Amino acid sequence: MSTTRTVDLPSDAPGAGGRSSARTRPKGRVGRMGRNRSQGRRTWRQSLRRDWQLYSLAVLPLTFFAVFRYLPMAGNVIAFRRFHPGGSMFGDQWVGMRYFRLFWHDPTFWHVFTNTLVIGLLTLVFCFPMPIVLALLLNEVRSRKFKKLVQSVSYLPHFLSTVIVAGVVMQFLAADGPVNQALHHFGHSPILFIQQPGWFRSIYVSSELWQTVGWGTILYLAALTSIDDNLYEAARIDGANRWKQTWHVTLPGIRPTMVTLLILNIGTFMAVGFEKILLLYNPLTYPTADVVSTYLYRMGVVSNNFSYAAAIGLFESLIGLVLIVSANRISRRTVGTSLW
Amino acid sequence: MVTLDTNATIEDRPTQPAGIRTTRGYRVFQVVNGLILTGVVIATLYPIVNIVARSFSSDGYIRSGKVNLLPRGFNVTTYKAVMTNSMFWTDYRNTVVYTVVATVVAMVLTTAYAYVLSKRDLRGRGVLVGVAVFTMFFSGGLIPNYVLVTTLGLKNSVWAIALPNAISVFNLLVMKAFFEGLPVELEEAAAIDGLNTYGILWRVVLPLSKAVLATMVLFYAVSFWNSWFAAFLYMDHSDLMPVTVYLRNLIYGSTNATSVGASEADASALGANIQAVTIVLTTLPILVVYPFVQRYFVSGVTLGAVKG
Amino acid sequence: MNNISRRSMLVSLGAASLGAATLGLTGCSSDSGSDDKGKDLSKNREDAMDKFGVNEQFKAAKPIAFTTLLNDNPGYPEKAGWLFWTELAKRTNVTLKPTVVPLSDYENKRSVLIGSGSAPALLPKTYTGQEVPFVASGAILAVSDYVDLLPNYRDKVARWNLQGDVETLLQDDGKYYVLPGLHQDVWIDYTFAIRTDILEELGLQVPETLDDLHNVLKAMKAAHPDSYPMSDRWNQPTAGGALLQTIGQAYGCGYGGGWGYQNATFDTAAGKFVLTGAMDQYKGMIEYVHTLVAEKLLDPESFTQTDDQAEAKFTSGKSFVISTNAQELVNIYRPGLAKSVPNGKVAKIPVPIGPAGAVKVGLRLENGLMISTKARDSKDFVAMMQFVDWLFYSDDGQIFAKWGVEGVTYTRDAAGNFHLTNDVDYVGLNPTATKKLNVDFGFSNGNFAYGGSTQLLESTFSQEEKDFQKVMNARKTLPVPPPHPLNADEQEQFALYEAPLKDYVQQQTLKFILGDRPLSQWDAFKSELKGKNGDQYLSLINGAYDRYKKSKAGGDKS
Repeated sequence: MSTTRTVDLPSDAPGAGGRSSARTRPKGRVGRMGRNRSQGRRTWRQSLRRDWQLYSLAVLPLTFFAVFRYLPMAGNVIAFRRFHPGGSMFGDQWVGMRYFRLFWHDPTFWHVFTNTLVIGLLTLVFCFPMPIVLALLLNEVRSRKFKKLVQSVSYLPHFLSTVIVAGVVMQFLAADGPVNQALHHFGHSPILFIQQPGWFRSIYVSSELWQTVGWGTILYLAALTSIDDNLYEAARIDGANRWKQTWHVTLPGIRPTMVTLLILNIGTFMAVGFEKILLLYNPLTYPTADVVSTYLYRMGVVSNNFSYAAAIGLFESLIGLVLIVSANRISRRTVGTSLW
Repeated sequence: MVTLDTNATIEDRPTQPAGIRTTRGYRVFQVVNGLILTGVVIATLYPIVNIVARSFSSDGYIRSGKVNLLPRGFNVTTYKAVMTNSMFWTDYRNTVVYTVVATVVAMVLTTAYAYVLSKRDLRGRGVLVGVAVFTMFFSGGLIPNYVLVTTLGLKNSVWAIALPNAISVFNLLVMKAFFEGLPVELEEAAAIDGLNTYGILWRVVLPLSKAVLATMVLFYAVSFWNSWFAAFLYMDHSDLMPVTVYLRNLIYGSTNATSVGASEADASALGANIQAVTIVLTTLPILVVYPFVQRYFVSGVTLGAVKG
Repeated sequence: MNNISRRSMLVSLGAASLGAATLGLTGCSSDSGSDDKGKDLSKNREDAMDKFGVNEQFKAAKPIAFTTLLNDNPGYPEKAGWLFWTELAKRTNVTLKPTVVPLSDYENKRSVLIGSGSAPALLPKTYTGQEVPFVASGAILAVSDYVDLLPNYRDKVARWNLQGDVETLLQDDGKYYVLPGLHQDVWIDYTFAIRTDILEELGLQVPETLDDLHNVLKAMKAAHPDSYPMSDRWNQPTAGGALLQTIGQAYGCGYGGGWGYQNATFDTAAGKFVLTGAMDQYKGMIEYVHTLVAEKLLDPESFTQTDDQAEAKFTSGKSFVISTNAQELVNIYRPGLAKSVPNGKVAKIPVPIGPAGAVKVGLRLENGLMISTKARDSKDFVAMMQFVDWLFYSDDGQIFAKWGVEGVTYTRDAAGNFHLTNDVDYVGLNPTATKKLNVDFGFSNGNFAYGGSTQLLESTFSQEEKDFQKVMNARKTLPVPPPHPLNADEQEQFALYEAPLKDYVQQQTLKFILGDRPLSQWDAFKSELKGKNGDQYLSLINGAYDRYKKSKAGGDKS
């Protein structure tokens, strides 16, 4: 059963090379950067000679990364240099950590930073597990037609632009909108949802959920189909009921997918939906709604301050990288699944 | 790593192996489940049906907020207006071309790299993965990217859209996980039969991976279909723009251009349902193509059996 | 786009007045302070006219082409076959080669193009203040150095007495970098639309003052107790954009609240800038609007709902007063109302007068044109400037850009009034026509047609709008605030204070208005502004203003 293989041991862990027995491959990897130089070089040469075709496949993609990803990164140097739009794209003069100090001592920055963390966390807590739940529910549906209908429909919101989604949300929550009409029905006075900071996060997260939950099931449904039916058979013979089967067979079966997506989500959690927040917030809800990206946008409209933005961008990237590396490491230690 | 057999992503395998004894509790669950999912369908559909209804309604009803689930003051005037606009079709054709070319380029590069990364014993694999993952977090700014594309002479061509976005790291990792889950034995057997690496990838691995390939094509195609920023940035003429840019400009124009302020010359009165119409027209093709992609997944199912 | 442009026009006044040093506009600018090397144009005169003066037809010696950015409006998308292009080439020998950019993200692309050094020569639709970020790098031409090539421009500035307005464009180096659109008079477009049939029904007069408006709303509420008589719109990008701007101006706090809000307002009596949000006049505005909300005369959703929602309430007869401009009245309110309330009547009322008296506030500058520095080295530079002067500033050029070709798109009667030809329509002036002046011919295009004389501006107005303008034109225009140009370092610091301060004032303004915070906390609010760097902000601006005053005095002496 394939799940035995889903455990991705770190490539330098003992036994990781076991599967490659077909090709004779030197074991006891000379690990980290030439602990033994002569041996390392020889190994590299051997690797190249044996796997050159494999390496050749990486040439184009690596060229892509070098040219279109790493080359423009050099432009980030403007976080440390003063950049004038229209001047040199690498900035005109060194200013050291000036821009980092500027935002570090900016109380508003820390306020929006906290908001970003909270919204990111809420999104993670709700938008990560819901597709799993939906996928599991779908997996229990017997009628093919109904299943297909639910699937096709729930993918739809993924295709709608944020402008539309925001417009629909505003309409729904208006004083005379459907939600308040329902509240009125129960004798509740209307709530001005859009104006109250206390409601913003719930509104954001639920609209995000609406937009992403269906599309998010695709990868899980794919993983579900790969679970070996024999495992269910075996579980049934052991007397497991439907619930236990789900717990002991289904969930472990999609665990690698879950963990991979969780790690990716953790890594990107600072990047909360800029456009949607911009469309949904207003000065009254800034206390909870304003995030780093919207704050930068408002700063940027006024000032076109690319250097300041680059400094904050680098800071965010660093956090993202630390998060994903830690998440990956923890996951590798605890559940044995990891991205790399 | 992930075992991602996207086989039959969307297609069902028989959800329940034959001969299962259903308990009463399970039957109750089935009913509840059906209700929950019906709720999901309704909640999802309501706004969408509303958009479709708006697209067929007349201005007055839309402005007074009276359009709900059914069109009011049914008409197709705006559809006619949009569909007889030659620019709309030019841009539509552009979208198709850009999506196809960019998806092909993306698939080739992503597949090649994912396959390399899936070889756990490859020396330097960690570095190769790191090279990709690092770019998820660090990127260059707008201006360096623009200078790059301009310097390479890619502006005003499909390559300006296809090349800078050729690999999505997310898709790369998903695909790598899938390849890692494939049985090694087949590849080993093929190697013994004398196939080189390219042959193994082409003749053995890819045929086994139709499901993930189809999923990735869908992911890439949808993202290219909906993308607008690259085209907006790198195209200098309106007849090179994809329909998303057209749509964005139209929505922006119709929500704002009527509130004429500083410049009286910007007056433009677009129908209130033009947004809805354009959304329907641009989303429709994806929905039309979708069932065909879905059917393609079916072939993945049988192949999935090899695995077990 | 346009509510934003309106906002930019006003908001950017503050930012625009960044520039110090002495510089008169027409007289001294051409000869003072510019080095001879920069002024030597002998190599750049190819194809130019030797003598080019006011209201002369410009024509290049041979056919030439200039590159330009073009803001593509979805209402009239660019067409290569427009009569505008061909006729322009015929009259001036100039072909414009446009880089077409969708209106939705025009600023973004312009910023990237300039930033990467690949901008076209002409950059139209630049709102005041938008040029500031590009000044330091030298990518944009200091056009004030070359106004002697622009006879029509100088003529209009002098004749319409626009010196003071233009000086607000000065940068720290004493030059300015954008050629603004010029209006003969301050043009007021935003005010309130009111249901006149309800007024008649209740036996009320059209309100002239804010107090009248308050009373009218009370009477409406008494007659329709279940409704909010007023429910307003225009909350992007600033909540209460039009409403607070209008009422704030009537109370005399600079450019008002909402879209007009600026952190600093010039206090003429004290001779320095003060924080707008802490002004008594600003408090007056808040109190007035708060009263409307507290008495349930103004819908509390007015500050957050979408335009669609507010329009729906008005056109369906749920509310009776709403902010408007000329376009919305004709395009949205009237047709909408006609469908649900057949005998409903709606009119645009003259802006109600408040404690500040019968005044109007505004700058007579319009979005304008930046020129790439690269173009300065072209051998056709002088020809290009003459061309720009003709198209954007000469009477003929302005009429051409707005109305097109006489006999083809328009005719003029003996009194000089413009009339569209039978088959051509523009803003509904000729509803039966099959072709549109902007869509099919490329005239009245926001990139090229703006500003100009009041007569030209009003040539496309309906009689109703002309009557409104007549009332407004009779009001006194308040002077523009003096320049206070910041240097690059100050500019950077300024930008960091600006947004948070503004956000805070706007947020608290809404809280006060909606009653989420009692007005008894006004003094606490004023001291909170200090915590948001309010004092540092003011000292930056006042410092720059003092510097400007000194250098101006020094310059005048020498």
